[in-house]
Amino acid sequence: MLMDPAFGRVIARWREGDRDAFEEVVDRYGLQLLRTARLILRDEALAEDAIQETFLKAWQRIGSLHDEDPGPWLTRIAMNESISTYRRRHRFQALTERFGRLGGGKHGVSSEARLDLAHALDQLTAEQRAAVALHYYQDLSVEETAQALEVPIDTVKSRLKTGLRRLRELTGSEEASA
Amino acid sequence: MSDDFEKNLRDHLHREAEETREFPRRLRGRIRDGIAPRARARMAPQLALAGALVLVAIAVLAFRNPTIINVVTTSIKGLIEPSPSPTPQPFLCQDQSGGSSSVATLTNIRAASHAGDGYDRIVFDFTGAIPSWDLTRQESPTFVRDASGQQVTLDGSAGLKLAFRGADVYAPTGPAGSTPGGPPTDLQPRLTSIREIAQIGNFEHQLTYGIGLSSSQCVRVLQLTNSRLVIDVATSGSASTTAAPTPLPTQPAATDLGAFGCLDHSGGTNSGPAMQLTAVRVAHQTGFDRIVFEFAPQAGATAHIPAYTVSRQASAKFVKDPSGLPVTMRGSAGLRIVFHGASGATSYSGSRDQIVNLPVVQEVEQLGDFEAVLSWGAGLSQPSCIRTLELPNPTRLVIDVQTP
Repeated sequence: MLMDPAFGRVIARWREGDRDAFEEVVDRYGLQLLRTARLILRDEALAEDAIQETFLKAWQRIGSLHDEDPGPWLTRIAMNESISTYRRRHRFQALTERFGRLGGGKHGVSSEARLDLAHALDQLTAEQRAAVALHYYQDLSVEETAQALEVPIDTVKSRLKTGLRRLRELTGSEEASA
Repeated sequence: MSDDFEKNLRDHLHREAEETREFPRRLRGRIRDGIAPRARARMAPQLALAGALVLVAIAVLAFRNPTIINVVTTSIKGLIEPSPSPTPQPFLCQDQSGGSSSVATLTNIRAASHAGDGYDRIVFDFTGAIPSWDLTRQESPTFVRDASGQQVTLDGSAGLKLAFRGADVYAPTGPAGSTPGGPPTDLQPRLTSIREIAQIGNFEHQLTYGIGLSSSQCVRVLQLTNSRLVIDVATSGSASTTAAPTPLPTQPAATDLGAFGCLDHSGGTNSGPAMQLTAVRVAHQTGFDRIVFEFAPQAGATAHIPAYTVSRQASAKFVKDPSGLPVTMRGSAGLRIVFHGASGATSYSGSRDQIVNLPVVQEVEQLGDFEAVLSWGAGLSQPSCIRTLELPNPTRLVIDVQTP
């Protein structure tokens, strides 16, 4: 993706170790990355940790950024960090999710247990939330979402399909649409 | 129906995301700290190994050619002794500024007498490059704390204010509020000229120290290798000393409005809902340039002047809040005006960067408006004394900047 020349000069200064230039990059991309991380992690403090790590890694790895817009590159790092952070901090929850899945196929949701969308999103896996956040919040295409998550396109399609089905179940939208 | 669900989901995600309204200042600070140059102590093993290899190499060379010892000892002397300035720098009886726009951490402050050479010395040690700094001389040892606005009087009868932009204090892990092993917050060397050094501000990467002097003295500033900023203050008896700046004689018409002072000012109160900035005006009048900040209370609230500090500085360089980005205004000196409990985000529709080119006030620009802390800067053509007036109906803070 092409960059405007002025921002290209900022990136060039960053490559030379200019911390002020790097902070301009933080200003430009930080808020959207933080919002996306928060949608995935469901926790403000964890999201801030993930984005802090994202930018510190970006600072160290500027050599791996080729002549391109740093946005998608930063998003890839942020998604990795967000999912890794979630896994590290929610190992126990991940285990229970796994046992839950082993315990049985489709989870019906009674009318009484219908959740609002916020709570329904809590029930998705971090990987599903990442796909949903990139596709529906950042408005990335399936292909761009796959690149950001560094997974095959079919994996993204599957995560989106499974995630949406689960959200419909949890919010009762499936019943409403039937 | 599926489209409706996806639209609802998209709307919900946007609403939820926008609950995070801004990139948090604390996170920006954590990232900034993370990319700061590391303390040299972390490289100790590598440096020790390198040093050992150099010593072995020197021993081998010395065995082959004994004269190499003289060359090496001369070089080592050059490394361990404070590097002299390329040309001897004079003591100046004026405000000074310098440094770079890098981010740095202050690790130590030291003071010592150099009585034989006619000065007292303070050394500020940093990791990273020396940050942007400015040094202003004042006629009293009373300073205004940033950001509380409280006044503090140090030992002595005159003062220096040293402000660093883009600087933090090295704060090793310790109980909240303490910095064990960090630089002292109040040092009282009680030397001939330098009586006391106290931290008077550490707010949004603006780090400020007040220095109490026994009398008004001229100053030499040296930026040495290894990120050391040295302030040499002449001891009494030096022929080069002149008094710190004092107000010019005022016009009779202005006398009724109060005296000008070459000091920082503070006042107002931080109570109740944030006051709303409605206007910023700048104009020249006989003997002074006037900057007016006009405020209105929120609905149902009582009008008051928000707590403020007006800080003089020796350059027109400022730092934006909260981005920390440097900004340079027109002029060679400045005023930094900070209000606590005030905002113009929704109430102020005027220009946030006014280039006025008056006799002294050259430019007035908003530096920040975040979490009810509103800050503006003024670029001045020369260091000037000021006075502040708190006026009602409408609620106004007036800053008069004395003109020649």
